[in-house]
Amino acid sequence: MPKFSRTTTTVASSFLVGCLAAFGYQAANAELESLTETELSEVDGAGIGVVLEDFKFAHGTDVENGRIFKIGGLKSADGRDVEVVVNKLYIAGANSNYGESLSPVNLGRLINPYKIDVIDGNDIGIDDKAVLEFAAPAMMAATEGFDCMSASAVAGSGTCSSRPSSESYENGERPDIGLQMNVAVGDDRSANINIHAKSAVIDGSYLRLWGDNERRQMVGQFKLNFYTPELSINACEQNGSTCGSRILMQDFALELALGNTLQPMFFDVDGTGNFVVEVASIRKPQAGEIGADGLQGSSTETWDFYEDYYTNPDYRSNLTVGNLSVGDRDFGSSRIEGMLIQHLNIKTRDLAHELSNL
Amino acid sequence: MNFRTYSSGVLRLLSVLALSFPGTGFGEMAQLDDGDLASVSGQGGIYLSGDISINELGGPVQNSYFGSCADTSKKCGARLAYRLKEGGGWMVLDEIRGKFSFEGLTLRVRAVDDGFAGDGQLFNRDVLEIGLPNIVRYDSVEFKLAASSTARPTDPGFQQTDIIAVEMQGDVILEGNLLVFPTGNP
Repeated sequence: MPKFSRTTTTVASSFLVGCLAAFGYQAANAELESLTETELSEVDGAGIGVVLEDFKFAHGTDVENGRIFKIGGLKSADGRDVEVVVNKLYIAGANSNYGESLSPVNLGRLINPYKIDVIDGNDIGIDDKAVLEFAAPAMMAATEGFDCMSASAVAGSGTCSSRPSSESYENGERPDIGLQMNVAVGDDRSANINIHAKSAVIDGSYLRLWGDNERRQMVGQFKLNFYTPELSINACEQNGSTCGSRILMQDFALELALGNTLQPMFFDVDGTGNFVVEVASIRKPQAGEIGADGLQGSSTETWDFYEDYYTNPDYRSNLTVGNLSVGDRDFGSSRIEGMLIQHLNIKTRDLAHELSNL
Repeated sequence: MNFRTYSSGVLRLLSVLALSFPGTGFGEMAQLDDGDLASVSGQGGIYLSGDISINELGGPVQNSYFGSCADTSKKCGARLAYRLKEGGGWMVLDEIRGKFSFEGLTLRVRAVDDGFAGDGQLFNRDVLEIGLPNIVRYDSVEFKLAASSTARPTDPGFQQTDIIAVEMQGDVILEGNLLVFPTGNP
């Protein structure tokens, strides 16, 4: 915390010099002053950078060899237990052939790592707040970055920081990620579902958390970027003998923005013990603030506010798929662009409790 | 600075003594110059093995008096509660139990000045390196993520919705090095 320590040192030393000069030695009780919200928001702590070198993670279920990975606790609509058995989950180097051969990967770059940091809210449009940020490697200038999609991207081809695996740099910074699971509802067990992403990049993603004074509540902003040249989903028999057609999404890009500086996400647990995520509706302008022709009315500030709200690309979510194919059929490309979440309220419900009340 | 001057003074004194009394055997110690001393590196780092067990079986005694994991009216395992709103409910990690065992977690400070496809040379600094243990053995590791109306299950009006429950068992492959370093300009 540079500002804090710098200020304290200066104050303390001049105080000390003054005391010594005027009164000679006296017991000096160091005066600690509390910082105002504005001062605190100026605090820019040095963050922590994290890089994983030669990383490989794998776990799964193999009952014969004593390995179990289950996610439970969910209930179906008719009250039966839902259990997700994760047969395999891996994060490893590119070219893993759908998780068959796992090689190491580097996650994050030394010069652009994963970061945990307290940042100045004024720099990112959150006035007078210190904001806790967990961030993936940041995007770079297109002149020195790498194309987010291409597994053979070279410097200067795009805005992503993570580099793909290449002959000279086998690890690369883009992992293959995969998951095989099956879902059981009561005694009915589904087929195995396989999901694989090749050479995945999440650069530019972040989670920012801070506190809201009015609602006295934790609020946040979540941005998830996920780029992969190939995302595939297919289903196989339990014993792996036969598999259905592979749903293949080539050049898959998801840029999801949940909450923004104007409409942050609110997190809460209500009185009945249910988790609530909310994105509050944006306020409507007062009469006359926006002109009848949509142009500036009585308030320049209000007009600028709505102009920013409707035009800022950072507030919008995009999903693009370069080519969707199922088996040997191509369905071409699809795009959902410029989604702006106006209002969101998600609440978990305790079905077990509600069913027992019926 | 002072220390170095002082110590080289002492060494000089010792050499003088050694020269004056050759029979005492001081003569075999040679003074290192600054350049040589700078290249001396202590054997650094820590190697850790062990296991962490959190209420794996509910402790050494299980009965109706001390409590038992089989007793459904009670909770078994650690609980971590976090409140998201003033006067609101609690987000909890509940019934955390099980044993993690690992062999060979290493900890050291490492100077990085090459590798990483050119990044190492640009970076040229020290990092804290945590060497992951390759295999972590999970023994009946369980935890639940839940939302709860009260901090403790024994508080009045307790209601809880389990969002997910995770169960892990067996060997987990966890390879690589975790490099931690400060960023920004402190």
